[in-house]
Amino acid sequence: MRPGKSYFRIYAAIAVSLVVLIIMNLILGSVIIPVRELFASITNSSSISYVNDILWNFRIPKVITALLAGVALSVCGLQMQTLFRNPLADPFILGISSGAGLGVALFVMGSSAFGITMAGSIFFNLGIAAAAWAGAAGVTLLILLVSHRLKENSSLLIFGIMIGSITSAIITLIQYFSSSSELKAFVTWTMGSFSGLTSAQIWIMSMLVFPGIVLSVYNIKELNILLQGEAYAKSLGLNLERTRRRILIATTLLAGSITAFCGPIGFIGIAVPHIARLLFRNADHKVLVPATALTGAAIMVFTDMVAQLPGQSGVIPINTVSALIGVPVILYLIMKSRFA
Amino acid sequence: MSGELLIMESLRLGYDREIYGPVDASASPGEMIALVGPNGVGKSTLLKSISGIQHFRSGVIRLDSRDIRKIGHTEIASLISFVPSQSPRAKNLSLFDMVSSGCFNRTNWLGETTEEDRMLIIETLDRVGLNGFAERDSSQLSDGEFQRAAIARSLVQQSGIILLDEPTAFLDIENKLIITRLLKKLATEEKRCIIFSTHDLQLAIKLCDKIWLMGSDGFHQGAPSELIENGAFDTMFKDSTLKFDKTLYTFV
Repeated sequence: MRPGKSYFRIYAAIAVSLVVLIIMNLILGSVIIPVRELFASITNSSSISYVNDILWNFRIPKVITALLAGVALSVCGLQMQTLFRNPLADPFILGISSGAGLGVALFVMGSSAFGITMAGSIFFNLGIAAAAWAGAAGVTLLILLVSHRLKENSSLLIFGIMIGSITSAIITLIQYFSSSSELKAFVTWTMGSFSGLTSAQIWIMSMLVFPGIVLSVYNIKELNILLQGEAYAKSLGLNLERTRRRILIATTLLAGSITAFCGPIGFIGIAVPHIARLLFRNADHKVLVPATALTGAAIMVFTDMVAQLPGQSGVIPINTVSALIGVPVILYLIMKSRFA
Repeated sequence: MSGELLIMESLRLGYDREIYGPVDASASPGEMIALVGPNGVGKSTLLKSISGIQHFRSGVIRLDSRDIRKIGHTEIASLISFVPSQSPRAKNLSLFDMVSSGCFNRTNWLGETTEEDRMLIIETLDRVGLNGFAERDSSQLSDGEFQRAAIARSLVQQSGIILLDEPTAFLDIENKLIITRLLKKLATEEKRCIIFSTHDLQLAIKLCDKIWLMGSDGFHQGAPSELIENGAFDTMFKDSTLKFDKTLYTFV
């Protein structure tokens, strides 16, 4: 890091916003919880019993899920954008979400064929997560197996996109032969959701995301070199293949795990790194990785809060909200930086 | 011969098929060498092969009389630095951070430079004429400034050999001279071995100690005057009516 350059103020501003957003997220919903009751419930126990129930069984798990998803998807998107030096890269560019989708589609079809009861049951939800994770990991494994034969990152990108396309085609084929209830279970998964995760599921997800974050921090040094081109990186003695492998494994742990439990959450992974770059105006990943993680967490918690706004009349799918609020934000930021 | 830093023996370039060969050449500390040849002959490939980032088919490259294939990539990087013809520019990457990547193999796991290296970076920026530019966004530099930044980046790598792939392409005459004089200074004052590819024969002949000519009939090595005398430049282009003018140092 450059000596004497401090980003403390921007980090602090985002951190404060994050805390405010978390509190608002916990307050708002189909039932509005008064601030006093919120703090009473967190520090000790609220005198209103349903408040404890709503908070501890629904909203706190949900906000933790949103936090994890925001951090994981954003940090993952940042690494993909740097690896491919492509501003349009996102966590799913190599077909991880398609792989996860294929896993889910196969599971939904298979489970109904074996007469396992649909939607809602814990086994069904865990089964979906396991199948999605296996699908995502399968795609990554396939890419890792061929990656040493692809000399340039751009060929890797094309290979990944092709794998994604063929996987999507297989999913469509499966959907074509599915019953309407199977289709509904699958489509519900693709809409993305942070609700309904049990604490056990959140634990499993954290256990997978955490090593992904650690690995991402380890990737910082190499990511900074990749910014300056592959030929230069190689001339420094950087092992391109090993670096790629580490980034791909981090991607699977981060995006694969979030997708497995929450569905494919779009937009965040591509937009947040850009927002962080515009806020911090620094390409150094020592600054960008924490910046992206923090910004991603704040935006995801905000997205989830907006999704709950209809209150009594239900919840908007996360993917709808993330696109609706995210796209204008990123367009505004791009316009501002272009013409300022 | 002792004192030779880099030796190539019967080197044949290429991976799946041979691109060019055989190349027999050598380079010593303090030498400034221009690599010339027609477009597509394999100048970049030769430079990349020497810097260990590209495979070659056969022959030997010796660095400090050791076979390059037996030296690890990290160690090669401490002996040779490479300035690619066109490095991508990363937006918002400060010049300081760009140059500090030359310290890659000396930084800690997070890529943080030592106090000593930070001093070296600032001092190196000074040496290439970019003092006070450390905090600038490297992507906003002019082509000439960016090329000097890329040279600074290779200097902090502290290697004895610096390879540059067409460092003066795309530059105007003033920047071309600034860069070549800088390279000359690095060769004479710091005893670095500078090898760069170029299409500017006049500049190469006037400034360089030695020329590596990748001609259509084979590889030639020698002092500019030798190559002019034995007519080596006339072999540069195959089946061409171009004649090398020995007084103008260019093709007519």
